[in-house]
Amino acid sequence: MNENKNSLTEEEIAINELVKESGKETGDIDSDKSDSKENDSMPKYSRRGGVFRKFKIKDIVFLAVITAMMLLTGSVMPLLIHIPVFGIIQLGLGIQFSLFPVVGLMKVRKPGSLLLMSLFSGVLLVFMFPPMFFCLAVCALVSEILVFIIFRGYDKDRACVLAGTLYMPLTLPFLYVYYNFLYTWTNQENEAVSQFVGSDPLPAILLSVAVLALCFAGSVLGMFISRELRKAGVLKK
Amino acid sequence: MSFFRYKRNLYPLFAVFSCLFILVFGFIMAKKIEFTYYLCGLFVWLILFGCAKACLKVLPIAVLIGGIFSCISYFSSGGDFNAALAMINRFGALFLALVPGMSVEPVAMTRNLSQIKTPRALTLGMLIVMSFIPVLKSEVRRVREAMKTRGAGSVMNPKIMYRAFLIPMVTRIVDISDTLALSIETRGFVLDGSAYTVYKKEPICMSDAVYIAGILAGAGLAVIL
Repeated sequence: MNENKNSLTEEEIAINELVKESGKETGDIDSDKSDSKENDSMPKYSRRGGVFRKFKIKDIVFLAVITAMMLLTGSVMPLLIHIPVFGIIQLGLGIQFSLFPVVGLMKVRKPGSLLLMSLFSGVLLVFMFPPMFFCLAVCALVSEILVFIIFRGYDKDRACVLAGTLYMPLTLPFLYVYYNFLYTWTNQENEAVSQFVGSDPLPAILLSVAVLALCFAGSVLGMFISRELRKAGVLKK
Repeated sequence: MSFFRYKRNLYPLFAVFSCLFILVFGFIMAKKIEFTYYLCGLFVWLILFGCAKACLKVLPIAVLIGGIFSCISYFSSGGDFNAALAMINRFGALFLALVPGMSVEPVAMTRNLSQIKTPRALTLGMLIVMSFIPVLKSEVRRVREAMKTRGAGSVMNPKIMYRAFLIPMVTRIVDISDTLALSIETRGFVLDGSAYTVYKKEPICMSDAVYIAGILAGAGLAVIL
């Protein structure tokens, strides 16, 4: 009996060691330590291997699937691009392009996740509206840099929300520059300005504020969804 | 595998290039009547190069949406025919630019990107994005059907949208991605930069060169004339 007990305890010890080892290998969740004031119930995301951690297949797959969902819900984009109202594209896509990126970032909290999502979306955006692909890639990079400067990564939920909030609104100035650049080829720069901004800049400013507010709402919604799923154990799998 | 042969499928990178070209050229030339002729010629050209199915799929939608927006443009500009023409041209360019992309299979695009040594993480992600849109469409439909069955109420209500649509949808996305990741890992896919071979390489054929040359020549003619 004693021998059996001993062998059982040895097995248990071996299993515990295996579990610990696998935890070290994955380096995603360090459940021993509780998080800061922000989320007491949330697991802390350790930074084993430095700030820049390698992406695993499951990360890439999740980011790709969430990007597909983002593009599916944002399929109205080709119809919006020709409406000559400044910021109409961003207004139509604000919620989708902030909610899903935040969900993606809260699962894959690694620098470069947002940029990867932008690059993945490029495969369809190139056919729908190529300038938007380049704009989104640049904006993702800018958002990532800003988040990295302020929060040093995506460990905090606030960092994910900030990235999601800035991602789409940052395309506003980029698209403005793009349209001006494009219309210089046809010597219609003034027309471009009047067409997309109008003689009175107030509507453009109001629309920009609305886009920012919409993206913030989308990001917060994404954060709530992720928190709820994490509590339910779905995001820990 | 001769260069001098006719291939039904376009070389994927040429398809992407042609799409970019048509869209940007459309933006620049939208106000000219010559561009309308160019679009008509392009439609025939795309049919000749194996995009007939995609062309026929796109045509009714392009006519409907282009027609609606050009009418709006015509009346909002006080009966200016040029404004309506510009809008028709823009939508024509937009929908015809979609055609080469629609006729390229996701796996062909992935092989092509792998041939030019694109990082595997990117090709994998792009393949998933291109292939999973129909899967996710059916998932959305299922979740909405489940909502109806349970009598959850209208999806326009933000609370119902959050609780009965978004939460189940994201849960399904997580489940799908976990299963897919496991499946990919089981098949021995790795991201460590080790050497790999590409199954069925995409070759460039004479027909691809003729396709691109035709599009560029047509654009040149539209500008000169």
